[in-house]
Amino acid sequence: MARTTVVPIGPQHPVLVEPIHLRFEVEEEVVKGVTPVIGYNHRGIEKLMENDFKKNVFISERVCGICSHQHSTAYSQAVERVMGVTPPDRALLIRTIMFELNRIHSHLLIIGLEADAIGYENMFMQCWRDREIVMRLVEMVSGNRVHYSMNQPGGVRRDINDAQQKEIEAGLKQLEERFADLEQIMRHDQTWNSRLKGIGLLSKKLAMDLGAVGPVARASGVDYDIRSTRAHPYAAYHMLKSFKPIVHEAGDTWTRMIVRMEELYVSAAIVRECISLMKPGPITAEVKGNPNGQAWSRVEASRGELVYFVKGVGKPVMDRVKIRTPTFANIPSLGPMLMGCQVADIPPIVTAIDPCICCTDR
Amino acid sequence: MSMLSNSLKNLFSKPATRRYPAVPANIQPNCRGRIEYDMTKCIWCMMCSRRCPTVAIESDKAAQTHKVYRMRCIACGACVEACPTDAITMLEHYADASYAPTIDTYHQEGPIPKPAPKEKPPPCEPSEAPKKA
Repeated sequence: MARTTVVPIGPQHPVLVEPIHLRFEVEEEVVKGVTPVIGYNHRGIEKLMENDFKKNVFISERVCGICSHQHSTAYSQAVERVMGVTPPDRALLIRTIMFELNRIHSHLLIIGLEADAIGYENMFMQCWRDREIVMRLVEMVSGNRVHYSMNQPGGVRRDINDAQQKEIEAGLKQLEERFADLEQIMRHDQTWNSRLKGIGLLSKKLAMDLGAVGPVARASGVDYDIRSTRAHPYAAYHMLKSFKPIVHEAGDTWTRMIVRMEELYVSAAIVRECISLMKPGPITAEVKGNPNGQAWSRVEASRGELVYFVKGVGKPVMDRVKIRTPTFANIPSLGPMLMGCQVADIPPIVTAIDPCICCTDR
Repeated sequence: MSMLSNSLKNLFSKPATRRYPAVPANIQPNCRGRIEYDMTKCIWCMMCSRRCPTVAIESDKAAQTHKVYRMRCIACGACVEACPTDAITMLEHYADASYAPTIDTYHQEGPIPKPAPKEKPPPCEPSEAPKKA
């Protein structure tokens, strides 16, 4: 008779990029239960954000290094909503361009990490080499590779001039060639397919019940992408005509990575469309007074829906900022994904939800 | 391209990385490296230290010194934007690595300059301002 053994993984483990503790109940090689424990990376950022509302932009960026621009966009939007400021169109387009470049590097990162999780070091290196192209583009525009400091309540702080637009387009062309290479591997390579196909299944019903977001939900057939939600427009997505969310039905780990793969192309197309829509004009609107009231804002970060709630009481200091991050919403769906899988399949399944513990714990 | 042909191609091509510091880093022209004061222009309005989100600038008007805590500075550029006389510039190169937290002190000799840029443009600015009003 099989005996249940408890296998603790994390908070420090070679598979995990960030500290999360997963306690597996294992019978022989089969996972029978999993308990995730979070809170190893808590830095008290929400408390820290009871600070000057203009300085908070820099703190919100530092919630997470990979989705830094997405956090600061969500925060700036929420503050703009409280103060009744509408940023100029050019600012919205610049925000969207940075947003999608941010998504491209985030998705390339996780595709690389997934390859690393299944021991495919060659592909891991290739993804990260290709990621340098987009990192160079963001550095060229914003002056930094990780923390762009592009947003401020009311608009953006740096413009994208014509020369930079041309360079971004050239960079995208170069990137798309690399994407085609990666796609070839992700669709046809035997190592990749045999390790990822059919593991970590999540049905559409479960995905909806557990509130999965982002590529995890979209790989299970849930058509949920804030970028296409016309009821709650943000940044410049309401101006775009070509955008359609990527939705697949299969709901396994392989599909999750394919959704990300196809989103790379979508992001590149969005950046191109935004550049074509750019018209000369101001990049920031004046913000007067102090925030008084409360508002929330949501954006589609690379990992899924990211929600910011802000409350001001007429002082420069924010009363409360609440952040709900996509990984926090995706952790519950790890349970059914991991149930009944082999111990060797744990790393690719956990990596495929793109866990960002830094965001989750804040 | 399949992984095999990719691997073969990579095997015979140049490495993607550069041998820093023998080869200089690929720093973009408007990279946010570190801030530098031009003390001849500073008029002690204190906007830099007030806008700094990380309290990295300590300004002492009486002693006419700005202290920049390099370990605290996040090179966001808020002070550069706030400075009315363009006394602060953002340099492309990062602050050097060191064994102890670096504190750079910028001292101003002589009397505090009059807020020149605000008074120098008067020929155009005041004439513009009444128009708006």
